[in-house]
Amino acid sequence: MSQYLSDVWKCRYFWLSLVKNDLRARYSRSVIGIGWSLLNPLLMTIVLSVVFHGVFGMDIKEFGLYLLTGICFWNFIASVVSSGCNCLFQGEAYIRQFPAPMAIYPLRTVLSSSFHFLVALVVVIVLKWGVGGFGNLSALPSLIPALLLLFVFGWSLALLAGFATAYFPDTRHLSEVLLQMLYFATPIMYPPEMLRGKGMGWVVDYNPLAALVNLLREPILKGVKPSVDTFGMATGSVILIGFFAVVTLVRLQRKIIFQL
Amino acid sequence: MACIRLEDFSLTFRVRQNRRRSFKEYLVRQMFRESVNPVMEVRALQHVDLTVRDGERLGIIGRNGAGKSTMLKVLAGIYPPTGGRLVVEGRVSSLFDLSLGFEPEASGWENIAYRGYLQGETPTSIRSKIQAIADFTELGDFLNLPVRHYSSGMLVRLAFAIATAIDPEILLVDEVLSVGDMSFQTKALQRMRDMMSKARVIVMVSHDLSSIMRFCDRAIWLDEGRVCQIGPTKEIVEAYTASASAAIAKAA
Repeated sequence: MSQYLSDVWKCRYFWLSLVKNDLRARYSRSVIGIGWSLLNPLLMTIVLSVVFHGVFGMDIKEFGLYLLTGICFWNFIASVVSSGCNCLFQGEAYIRQFPAPMAIYPLRTVLSSSFHFLVALVVVIVLKWGVGGFGNLSALPSLIPALLLLFVFGWSLALLAGFATAYFPDTRHLSEVLLQMLYFATPIMYPPEMLRGKGMGWVVDYNPLAALVNLLREPILKGVKPSVDTFGMATGSVILIGFFAVVTLVRLQRKIIFQL
Repeated sequence: MACIRLEDFSLTFRVRQNRRRSFKEYLVRQMFRESVNPVMEVRALQHVDLTVRDGERLGIIGRNGAGKSTMLKVLAGIYPPTGGRLVVEGRVSSLFDLSLGFEPEASGWENIAYRGYLQGETPTSIRSKIQAIADFTELGDFLNLPVRHYSSGMLVRLAFAIATAIDPEILLVDEVLSVGDMSFQTKALQRMRDMMSKARVIVMVSHDLSSIMRFCDRAIWLDEGRVCQIGPTKEIVEAYTASASAAIAKAA
């Protein structure tokens, strides 16, 4: 495996420049360009805050940031899955010409999604400082392992989505439905207590995505390091999905060319 | 030392006659154990034994669909064997599907760099070559445009210039001697000659028998995925031409 990773590292100039190109191409004809990475989650939050405040009478200051963190996280997951489905087709021309390690194509996907995610995350942190002061500084270093976990999670997810789509083109549509379901099963736009109160706490407790989003929310919003339970749950699920991704690579990476 | 060895090598494509299988069909198949959408097996290469030693220039000839290009892709490490073994020692550079694999939104300059990186260049090593590559393409200011505005001929010029800018140990060539317009063809031919004199092993596919005769010292004649004959270029080309003209005579 370390041999494989070093092969991936060897073509770093290739995938890094593709990522750079993807980021630029995405906004190549827009006026504010990369600013959309900032504006998108901000506008979403404003809309949702107004709705939640007006309709459900929730406190915007607290809840707005809670929402914003959730939305940033979810945008990352959703974009990793949806562009992950395309990643091998996107790289098809390269796959047909050079025997490079297949993991670089989902890596390209996850890196460009990560960029937008990080920009949005910085916005969240700065807003929190503006609203609630610098009380969370001591907890912020715990974001580093959290982001690493999230990165591996996203890479594996994109890889699995890419291979699954190559074998079953229907995956693309299926994954949209699944994402929609997961969106409601994960406390993105509602507080987890809401489910607990209805006796559905298990949805949150056994949901790896809930653990992952908590890794972001607890240090940023509450200023506390995530609990060992949360870290355990998140690490466990990352290891599991990473394992599936590695098995997929080992078994299918040479054969995938026949499916493209 | 560069060398290539194929031992009892087979490659079978399983192609859906209709479409790729859907998830629904997969489930149905698992339940009823029969396919609604039959698989057609294409035996692209069958039991090929071949050794190309250091210093050899091998030409592959045969009819359309005989497995020539597939063979090159196997040697490049793109298709895995479905039977047998493949050993390749040495740095491989391949010239096929030239106009594929560009980022349409990126400029010509950037695409030179991307391809270069994929061929193992680094930002430092590409910097010293990029001007020479650009000059060879003769595309001038067009290199600043996104490549989606390029004509197919311009793309081939670009691709050829990049692919031939490195010194490979093993060079795999598929019908690229006919690229571009007339002036570029002359240049390309010269470039190919240079490369061929430097590379240690060359495998080339062409329908142009005279260039096979000129460049190769050994030839292999493929028919329907099998090795029909292998030996000195002249003999093989003569045997192939004889069989082809016999086929034409029979048809007429």
